[in-house]
Amino acid sequence: MLGTIIQQVFNALTIGSIYALIALGYTMVYGVLRMINFAHGEMFMLGAYAAFVILTLLIGDIGNAGVVILALVFFAAVIVVGLIGVGVERLAYKPLRHSNRLAPMLSSLGVSLSLVTAVQIVAGPQPIGFPSFFPSTRFDVLGGTVTSVQIGILIAALVLMVALYTLVNRSRAGIIVRAVSESRPTAQLLGINVNLAISLVFFAGPVLGAAGGILYASYYGIMSPTMGAVIGLKAFTAAILGGIGSIPGAMLGAFILAFVEVAGTALLPALTGGLLGTEYRDVLAFAILILVLLVRPAGILGEPVSEESMVYKREF
Amino acid sequence: MTLTFQNLRKHYGSNVAIDDVSTSFAPGLIHGIIGPNGAGKSTLINMTAGSYTVSSGAIHLDGSNLCGLQKFEVANQGVARTYQNIRLFDQMTVLENLEVCYYPQAVGQAWKEILWPPFATEREARRRAACMELLSFFNLQGYAEAEAGSLPYGRQRMLEIARALVTNPRVLLLDEPAAGLNHHETAELTSRLAALKSPERVMIIVEHDMDLVMSLCDRIVVMHHGKLLFEGTPAEVQASTDVQTAYLGTANDIDDIKAAAEDRRAQLGIRARRRS
Amino acid sequence: MSSIDTSVPVSTGGSKVLAWLVVLAALALLVATPFLPNYYVRVVNGLLIYILLGIGLNIVVGYAGLLDLGFVAFYAVGAYTYALLASPQLDLHLPFLLIVVIAAGLGLMAGILLGIPVLKLRGDYLAIVTLGFGEIIRIIVNNVDWLTGGPKGIARLDKASVAGIELARPVEIYWLLLVCVVVIGTLVWRMERSILGKAWAAIREDQDAARGIGINTTVAKLTAFATSAMIGSIAGVIFAASQRFVSPESFALQESVLIVLMIVVGGIGNILGVIVGAAILILMPEVLREFAEWRVLFLGLLMIVLIILRPGGMIPRTFGPDKLIRRLFSR
Repeated sequence: MLGTIIQQVFNALTIGSIYALIALGYTMVYGVLRMINFAHGEMFMLGAYAAFVILTLLIGDIGNAGVVILALVFFAAVIVVGLIGVGVERLAYKPLRHSNRLAPMLSSLGVSLSLVTAVQIVAGPQPIGFPSFFPSTRFDVLGGTVTSVQIGILIAALVLMVALYTLVNRSRAGIIVRAVSESRPTAQLLGINVNLAISLVFFAGPVLGAAGGILYASYYGIMSPTMGAVIGLKAFTAAILGGIGSIPGAMLGAFILAFVEVAGTALLPALTGGLLGTEYRDVLAFAILILVLLVRPAGILGEPVSEESMVYKREF
Repeated sequence: MTLTFQNLRKHYGSNVAIDDVSTSFAPGLIHGIIGPNGAGKSTLINMTAGSYTVSSGAIHLDGSNLCGLQKFEVANQGVARTYQNIRLFDQMTVLENLEVCYYPQAVGQAWKEILWPPFATEREARRRAACMELLSFFNLQGYAEAEAGSLPYGRQRMLEIARALVTNPRVLLLDEPAAGLNHHETAELTSRLAALKSPERVMIIVEHDMDLVMSLCDRIVVMHHGKLLFEGTPAEVQASTDVQTAYLGTANDIDDIKAAAEDRRAQLGIRARRRS
Repeated sequence: MSSIDTSVPVSTGGSKVLAWLVVLAALALLVATPFLPNYYVRVVNGLLIYILLGIGLNIVVGYAGLLDLGFVAFYAVGAYTYALLASPQLDLHLPFLLIVVIAAGLGLMAGILLGIPVLKLRGDYLAIVTLGFGEIIRIIVNNVDWLTGGPKGIARLDKASVAGIELARPVEIYWLLLVCVVVIGTLVWRMERSILGKAWAAIREDQDAARGIGINTTVAKLTAFATSAMIGSIAGVIFAASQRFVSPESFALQESVLIVLMIVVGGIGNILGVIVGAAILILMPEVLREFAEWRVLFLGLLMIVLIILRPGGMIPRTFGPDKLIRRLFSR
């Protein structure tokens, strides 16, 4: 029993850290642009594909690469995706910065559709096997089985999140981004380079998302052009759950969501006497989201907006 | 028809914004609320209009309590307001900005209007005529079909006041109506507001423009640090040493204000005579 | 037209000709459709269903300014209502019109039930919660095998019939759809122009100021939600009756997104815009059929370009059917 619990906790931590990496991208973009970037799930997918392509180009025989090479491939891939993210923002969102709020969101839907189809055309629509970035061994922790891949993912995700947190809170670039998140007009008046802040966010978000994609693909050993859709939706749910715009909120939301899902998968059939099976996992995730928003309309760590404190004008 | 505040309090945590304010506003008069920034003037307006909840105390209109009602319910009790930073329905036309105010009265028969065109036409014509009359009063009739957001700033202020008047409210709350207006526009505003006086209506103006307040208002409430410091006629307010020290500053300023108020009264007198 | 009405481009001979061309092309398509091969009739039927869905969703998104990404759930409610009440699944075979009424009622209820908890939420939160609701409905439909047949769906639905006339062939469905689009379109347009429509617009522009003039925004938004859900549900019934087969596949998230896109590409808050948007997004893939997957890429890129070029849509919000008619017959 304890073994099973330990194993499930590690499952939840693994999937939660991947959700968190992606959720951070949603929340940061929302912070500076008040926009839902529907193409963000595709950065996750592109991460896996970029890593695969670079790996194949560098060394023909996949799966035999040394640790250093793998690390280099990992960083090369996430940087490539980061640059794609910046480019997408310049081409598809920047022209819409001063129009209604719905326009950039729908443009991002177009970007999402285009990227998925482009990858389908180039690499084929079928799933492709993905090499594991971590040597696979199994550990026994108090009776539960934990794989080295899971531990690798946890460590990698934690390192990335700590790095982001430090950057945002300690570095000059972070201050710029936070200032723009706080109030874009004021930041502009103070002479802060708003374009730079937005580019930084559209670099950092996809970098983290792509890292999540590589970790995810090596965890499950498979990738496909549509892998970003469902995970992206989950990560977005996590960002909202935690309070969109809040970086700690995104991480918290991601882990809560992961634990709810894992617990739901394990307990739902037992609790309902087999009436509700594991396929209701996603229902549970959304149900939790709706319940949380009913109690805290701005998410767990989101700042509540009072009606009169801000001039609330048209959404779009 | 009197609007009464009874031991009104508003606090945010330990921060007291309104502290035990009791007063009443009689119909047929124009009441001014003045005071330095942060004195709680706008808070009073927002509480009366149902935008802010009341921490304790009561607001009575004609004996019925307005506290605890939702904002739209307060509006439907006959309390209309304008906002410090103009809040029009920007992408609707000027005429539509007024027409939509009939919603609370007309919504009961909305389905009949949708399903039976002749009924709708007749109703709409009546509503439009009333709105056009109001627009003419504010000299906005030429803008009827323009988008509200495209109007010059001064016209937007006028339109917002017109919108507040559509349903012939019992209480009209004006939150800094002259903010951002030039001299000419302020003069126009003053004469229009003077003409809106009615024995059926309580008018309350929060304003920083002392000329306007002194010349237009019949009674003035002076707020200071969330407390009611003084209330009386403009002359009494000007004479009060409390107000002078707390709010108006040095004696020179007061003389200036008195002179300006005299001036303005004279101007208005002349204009009124010309019109008649 | 008043001289200061700057919202509509200046009436020129060129735009009048263009207006006539577009209107005549649309009329020609409508008149010609019954004589076209079945394949094309089905394409036009698909277009009309999406126009119907667009008209419904536009009430919430365009008029009231609430981003609803779970609209397809109401479409599913209608489709499965028909599938369950007119098929061997439960061995029920109720008349078509009765099912339309039942489905409209169920759609209305579903709209209100979803609306009550979510309408307090602001824009983006509303979007994700409605999206979640849409997914929940789809997952449930996908898994309640004993009732909905699960992923396999429900087949062998009854043929629709109205007043003894059978409506099963594509052409017959076409007439049914055309009547529905015209009737519902007209009603919705009248709603837009009514005091209710003006209240929705006020809520869209500034919800707080709308409360300040006495609008009970919760009730007004619920009305929008419920009306739109009802129309979505009716569209679902017709869809099920025309396919005579339903499965969860037809109610994926992408469908909701596609309908929102139609509205935005065509012209948000404008019935003419919905029609234009549906024409672009539904007919374009058909026209480009032979390019297989490239057409989806093209569609994605086209979407980006159209939105960047005209963020408010192809047709301005204020250019409604009345303005179109005035433009056609202007001097």
